[in-house]
Amino acid sequence: MSALGAIFTRELRLAFAGGGGPAGPAAFNLAALALAPLAIGPDAETLQAAGPGVIAFAALLATLQPAERIFSEDASDGTLELYALSPVGLALSVFMKTLAFILAVFWTTPLLAFVGGLAYGMDVTSAFVLALGLGFAAPGLAFIAAFAGALAAGLKRAGLLIALIAAPLQVPLLVFAAGAGRAAMDGTGLEGPNLMMALAGSLAALALAPFGAAAALKARLE
Amino acid sequence: MSTAAFSPSPISVSGLRLERGGKTLLTGFSLDVQPGEALVLLGPNGSGKTTLLRAMGGLVRPAEGEISLDPQSVAFLGHADALKASETVEQSLRFWAGLYGGDVTTLDPVMVDMALAHLARRTCGTLSAGQKRRTALARIALSNRPVWLLDEPAAPLDARSRARLASLVRQHCEAGGIVIAATHVDLGWAGARVEDLRPAPTRTAAGVG
Repeated sequence: MSALGAIFTRELRLAFAGGGGPAGPAAFNLAALALAPLAIGPDAETLQAAGPGVIAFAALLATLQPAERIFSEDASDGTLELYALSPVGLALSVFMKTLAFILAVFWTTPLLAFVGGLAYGMDVTSAFVLALGLGFAAPGLAFIAAFAGALAAGLKRAGLLIALIAAPLQVPLLVFAAGAGRAAMDGTGLEGPNLMMALAGSLAALALAPFGAAAALKARLE
Repeated sequence: MSTAAFSPSPISVSGLRLERGGKTLLTGFSLDVQPGEALVLLGPNGSGKTTLLRAMGGLVRPAEGEISLDPQSVAFLGHADALKASETVEQSLRFWAGLYGGDVTTLDPVMVDMALAHLARRTCGTLSAGQKRRTALARIALSNRPVWLLDEPAAPLDARSRARLASLVRQHCEAGGIVIAATHVDLGWAGARVEDLRPAPTRTAAGVG
């Protein structure tokens, strides 16, 4: 349907032009990756062991960073009303918007995970598996963050609410994405199941979160 | 200008009670609007004009009563203009016209009508309040929807733009469309019916405190 394509293209353009695309969350992610070793200490073995966890965790934090602004502007400038009254409806509009936002903002996540993995001393294959795991998990992490952002849109202390709502829901994705990298590194042969679980978690979030977000935004309109 | 003739069903509102923030704004409100009619809802701030418009657009559920109006026939203009700072006037109009199934070929004449032609490539973030409002009104005109719900459509407009708005409304009504505008000022629309909304009399002491 071309209307969905039009929403996707427009929101992609707005995410790049208005929101600066991936710059903010990527910088946040990178800063977390660069600072963690200073706290962990210089021991190469420890850093390598901590690598998958730290990298997956940094990616998770980066998805929370822009959650507040995904819908706050649309809620205050009247865009949500127009989407709600359009033939596409609010739920599908929110779905396409979130999809475009995630693509625009989080395409760097697997790249950062790969480079980060190498920097933390992981071998190329393990770093690649970790990057793949985060590539699978990132859309789910971001969809959950977007859902929390929709619930908190326009509220005071939205940031606090977003962290409280999103973080527990993101746990499985964090566990399996980091688990895939660790399994590849330790040679346990469990990277396949971990990757599958990360992907399954992402697909579940993709199927549920947009409708939750739309319902939250609809309630906010009233 | 859109020459498509509209034939919406008459709008009928009956026994409506609207609440906002636990306070009753309107009770027992009824209204009938025929195709081709322009209606001005006049009332002071806080009298429930905006909530009434939002209820008619299906954006707010009324506490009681019936509204016979399909939200899919509505073009809605709220307080905010729904413009994005980084989008140009033309991009915005083209997107919404396309999404609402409007006729994109009438984009140029509508922009001329609303004195936007010279602003087509400007990003909406650089527009004045009046220019933003004119852009939002052009979006309404391009939406190909028979029922226009306009909330304070003329607030930031100068005299000439108000005249442009009045002529836009007249053309829409002549094509069989319905225009319902909420305002606290005189819009100067010749032939428009005026409905005065009084503040709700049922205000409890607890509600005021």
